[in-house]
Amino acid sequence: MAADKPTETPAAAEKKPEETKTAKPAALGEDDEFEDFPVEDWPENETEAAAQGESSKHLWEESWDDDDTSDDFSQQLKAELQKVEAGKRK
Amino acid sequence: MSRVNELLVTIRKDIASGNGEKLRQWLQVVPEAPASYHEMGQELRGKRDKPLHGSLEKWIEHMIPDETDHAKEGQITAWGGLYAFIKEYLIYWRDADWNDLLRTHELLTNLVNASATAFSYPSGGDILMQTCLALSQTLAQLTMTLSRRPDLLRKAKRAEDASGDGGGDDGQGSIIGRTSETIKKIFTTCLQDRTTDRWTAPKGRKQAVYTFANLVLKLSFACRKITPATMLLSQMASQAPLLNLYPAAQRVTFLYYLGRYWFANTHYLRAAHCLEAAYLQTLPTFVTHRARILTYLIPCNLLLGRFPSQNLLSRPEAKNLAPVFFPLCAAIRSGDFAAFQAHLATQQDWLYERGLFLQLAHKLRPLLWRSLARKTFILTYQPPEDASSRKAATLDLADLQTAASFLQRRIEGYTPSSTTHRPSQGVNPLAVHAARNNANTTLVAPPSGPRKLRSHEGILWGNAQITAEDVEMMVAEMVQQGLMHGFVAHGQGRFAIIGAKAKGPVAAGWPTPWAAIADRKYDQYYDQEDVPGWVKA
Repeated sequence: MAADKPTETPAAAEKKPEETKTAKPAALGEDDEFEDFPVEDWPENETEAAAQGESSKHLWEESWDDDDTSDDFSQQLKAELQKVEAGKRK
Repeated sequence: MSRVNELLVTIRKDIASGNGEKLRQWLQVVPEAPASYHEMGQELRGKRDKPLHGSLEKWIEHMIPDETDHAKEGQITAWGGLYAFIKEYLIYWRDADWNDLLRTHELLTNLVNASATAFSYPSGGDILMQTCLALSQTLAQLTMTLSRRPDLLRKAKRAEDASGDGGGDDGQGSIIGRTSETIKKIFTTCLQDRTTDRWTAPKGRKQAVYTFANLVLKLSFACRKITPATMLLSQMASQAPLLNLYPAAQRVTFLYYLGRYWFANTHYLRAAHCLEAAYLQTLPTFVTHRARILTYLIPCNLLLGRFPSQNLLSRPEAKNLAPVFFPLCAAIRSGDFAAFQAHLATQQDWLYERGLFLQLAHKLRPLLWRSLARKTFILTYQPPEDASSRKAATLDLADLQTAASFLQRRIEGYTPSSTTHRPSQGVNPLAVHAARNNANTTLVAPPSGPRKLRSHEGILWGNAQITAEDVEMMVAEMVQQGLMHGFVAHGQGRFAIIGAKAKGPVAAGWPTPWAAIADRKYDQYYDQEDVPGWVKA
């Protein structure tokens, strides 16, 4: 500690490999949650938010309906509907 | 000089010089701390047999005397709360045993509690702000580790039951609850600091409001306990300063957790507001953070009827998310419940781990029903030959029942018998032949009988068969939600579209889901832009 090494800062003490205890790293665990950012702040004009809504417009598709009936699923469904309908008429 | 004295001399110096950052660097608690801390622990253990508590307190006061009488103006001097905190710090190093995480957690909780009390001292307590944050982060981390150790949680619960103060539902609940309460004490001190008001740039303890709030929220979600978050956010809504007065990292982190909070409460519109703001305010270079935000922002928008665009899915942060969500979008587009369930099953573990599975499995059903009804209409509707006919465009609900029953059977393992599809291996050719002659279905039953479904796998509920009443109720529900525009003609067993003449039957009967949700009317005034917990100007 600093008392017998008055010029040594705590940060320097931490860096000294012979003083750093590496055992039991599991004690405090790993966390897989939202990590801390490496910097505290950044200019807004470097983000998409600066575009004031313009940039978010192309992120999402609002009209996504599918009118195609030539795919396998539509064809199978059509066959089922026709068969059941024909069965009702018998 | 002994290690204890070295530390106390340094603390006295840093207090006098008002250097909070240095104090944080000295007051380490992690097991990876330099050897001198462990030597200090040994030194303290050597004195264990002596009446340490009393003498330790006196020794601290001797080494860090209260110098109020000689202090220059504005100079911080020792106070009672600081002595109690330093004492807890020494006790921590004396008794901490990293092979006994429960005991270490208890010691660390006591230490953070003492730091909270010292921090709340009005004349100089704020010098401990960085220290309180570092200690709280370590305590939160240890709590998250414990929350993943059911063996230790059971042990904690037994100990609490034995001592008669086990109030929680399980060991996890009480450990997380205690930790949250401890950190919240520091948060509340920051929140109630009167150096600045809510509307001006924060100073003093106010600067740390969102840092501590983020820590409590992180703990809540990591341990899957939402109650501490609810209480914190209600305090934030009434007292916290404007979010946009804080640095970008704190803003984005807060909006991410606020979005997750509203997602967990099934309020997808509020969640989408928060998560989209968090996403757009994050620099594109922070790919991991953006990916984490999109993990919740994409499902939110799916549930609101908006799909991620190709532009979004082709971004680096969406690389691992596109294979999870794109097939779900394709299934919803066509109303294919079977493809939806099949893909959901392949992603179950990933989605469950992130708290997404149950919401997607249940809450996307209205959109699937809507697309299925739409597809059934397109496949069955015969426009009148006479263009001037006033006959309403309708969907026969019996057809929708046929379509839904077909999909229920597909989920149960039935396979198509049509000549264009080869029957699956193991399917009895006689069964295929019988099915082709069956007037009721094109499907062949699996040889071992229908697969037994879990509740969320069936279209309604497990293996429950779909009745005409179920279909009528479902369509009425979609009309109520605005996902289908028209009315149920109960007598005819049909859904009649309103406005088909002007827009065409499909466009009139099935409005764009996002537009329908955004235009929804409510009994009471409701501001869609307002998100409780998000303090805006």
